[in-house]
Amino acid sequence: MATVVFDSIFKSFGSTKVLHGISLDIANGEFMVLVGPSGCGKSTLLRMLAGLEDIGGGTIAIDGRVVNDLDSKDRDIAMVFQSYALYPHMTVGENMGFSLRLRNDERKRIEDRVAHAARILNLEPYLKRYPRELSGGQRQRVAMGRAIVRDPKVFLFDEPLSNLDAKLRVAMRAEIKALHQRLKTTTVYVTHDQVEAMTMADRIAVMNDGRIEQLGRPLELYDRPANLFVAQFIGSPAMNVFDGTYRNGAVEALGARWPCSAKAHEGQPVKYGIRPVHFDFGSGVEAEVVVVEPMGAETELVVKIGGQSLTVATHGRSPAAPGDRISLAPNAKHAHLFDAASGARL
Amino acid sequence: MTTWQVWGALLLAPYVLVFFVFVLYPVSYGLWLARNPESYRTLFEDPIFFTTVVNTIFFLLVAVNLKFVLALYLSGFFVHDRRWIRWLSVIFILPWAMPAIPTIFSIRFMFNPEWGVVNQTIFRLTGLDGPNWLTNPDLAMAMAMGVHIWKALPFWTLILMAGRLAIPKELYEAASVDGATAWQKFKYVTWPSLRTLYITSTLLSLIWTLGDFNSVYLLTGGQPADKTHVLATLGIRYIRLDQLDHAMATIVVALPFVLPLVYFMMRRLSGDEQKTSQ
Repeated sequence: MATVVFDSIFKSFGSTKVLHGISLDIANGEFMVLVGPSGCGKSTLLRMLAGLEDIGGGTIAIDGRVVNDLDSKDRDIAMVFQSYALYPHMTVGENMGFSLRLRNDERKRIEDRVAHAARILNLEPYLKRYPRELSGGQRQRVAMGRAIVRDPKVFLFDEPLSNLDAKLRVAMRAEIKALHQRLKTTTVYVTHDQVEAMTMADRIAVMNDGRIEQLGRPLELYDRPANLFVAQFIGSPAMNVFDGTYRNGAVEALGARWPCSAKAHEGQPVKYGIRPVHFDFGSGVEAEVVVVEPMGAETELVVKIGGQSLTVATHGRSPAAPGDRISLAPNAKHAHLFDAASGARL
Repeated sequence: MTTWQVWGALLLAPYVLVFFVFVLYPVSYGLWLARNPESYRTLFEDPIFFTTVVNTIFFLLVAVNLKFVLALYLSGFFVHDRRWIRWLSVIFILPWAMPAIPTIFSIRFMFNPEWGVVNQTIFRLTGLDGPNWLTNPDLAMAMAMGVHIWKALPFWTLILMAGRLAIPKELYEAASVDGATAWQKFKYVTWPSLRTLYITSTLLSLIWTLGDFNSVYLLTGGQPADKTHVLATLGIRYIRLDQLDHAMATIVVALPFVLPLVYFMMRRLSGDEQKTSQ
């Protein structure tokens, strides 16, 4: 277990700058998720921590020790790759014990540790098999087993669930989370999937274009996004955002008045954001139902207001049908205002 | 016969014809020419034949293996993605891309003991006579192997490069994180992935090298004193001496070398070997 500190990390590939001075402290035992769209620099940051990418500027410290000039093998980290990167010519057991074998550990100790990890991950029946004889989920668990066996200071995960089907992804998500709660090893987890980030993280760093847009606990990001990018990235279905003007304590937009609790200057152009779940049915803004998407536990409605499409989510079933006219009451307490120019939260 | 089968037979006919005229007939005719047991007796009694067999085995074992060890090493160098390495690789491929006759003749001229540029340079620099590159049998054989390696190395380096490029980069990264040194990465990642290709290529190269006429004949012509012949060039010697039956017998004698190689090769390619080796 260890702390990880990124201090003003820069990185360029040729003339393209990919990281612009990232600073991030990760606490001992914390599960930190780096989330962002592809190309935002999250994987590069992780690979720099792993020692697979040169550090362009700044320092990275693991457990208080600067590791900029240390080889991967001397950093005491373990990494799980998106493609699993299992050695195809080694059995599951050999794959898992490989790092210990390279360290010249005793055979007995390697066997014990592999058996221990296999027990945790339910891989005991597969130890003699080759990776090609396993399913995607099993391979993923072997990759995790390889990391656990090391008992490293830090676990690194690079989009580990992206190659799995939706159902398996949910199951493995829970397994990784449970594993972390059991081992309490500091973990840095990279994903582009905000649902993974929300469900697994102790804290999330939302990245965009080589910068951290916001750092915080999952529900903090959900409840109080610092800017438009975070507002639209976190939460599923995504937040509705549209242009308006602040007047008399509300926002005039799409031909209606939208209540809000945040304040802006009179006449200031703003972006009004409201999550699909924060509408009540009743008197308020008139809308026309375009699409009804029933999902059982909840129903999503795509509605048109003043020519703009908005998403509304309701618990349970909805009697609305396409073409119906309904009245929506946006919940002022949950409405977000952003500066129209900078996108910063007001 | 259905129309479909008639069409099948018609479309197959040209290939069958070509196969008969250019493969089956010449091979059978060659075997028929080589049918006389007497030609084998005189062939085996010819001291040059014995030297040639030893030369051939030596050539195959040393030249092919040396070539592959070098190709394996160089393929690791040339896969690096640097601009100057890409340029260097273009130059490196030239010997393979150039036609054999002018290139090997140039080498022959360069290494001429009396007026070749190599020995002239040695004389100018040291005042000593250079070695008899092509007139000392052992040295000439080594030179022939050198020419063979020089000419074929780029091709096999390219093949092994392709093999290396097919290995996922993540495996090396995973090995780095697992604590592997460069040698351990080769041992545990590169070699297991490349082994099948390496062995299959070596087999194929053995077959091709057994038939390599150019490297020896153009460089030494089997000289001095017919001591640098290999089986591929010995046939020509007998043809020049108007001993066609001996020439054919020489080729038949090479079959025990070739056929097992072809057999192993086909087995590997059909996948039997892979199933057992993995």
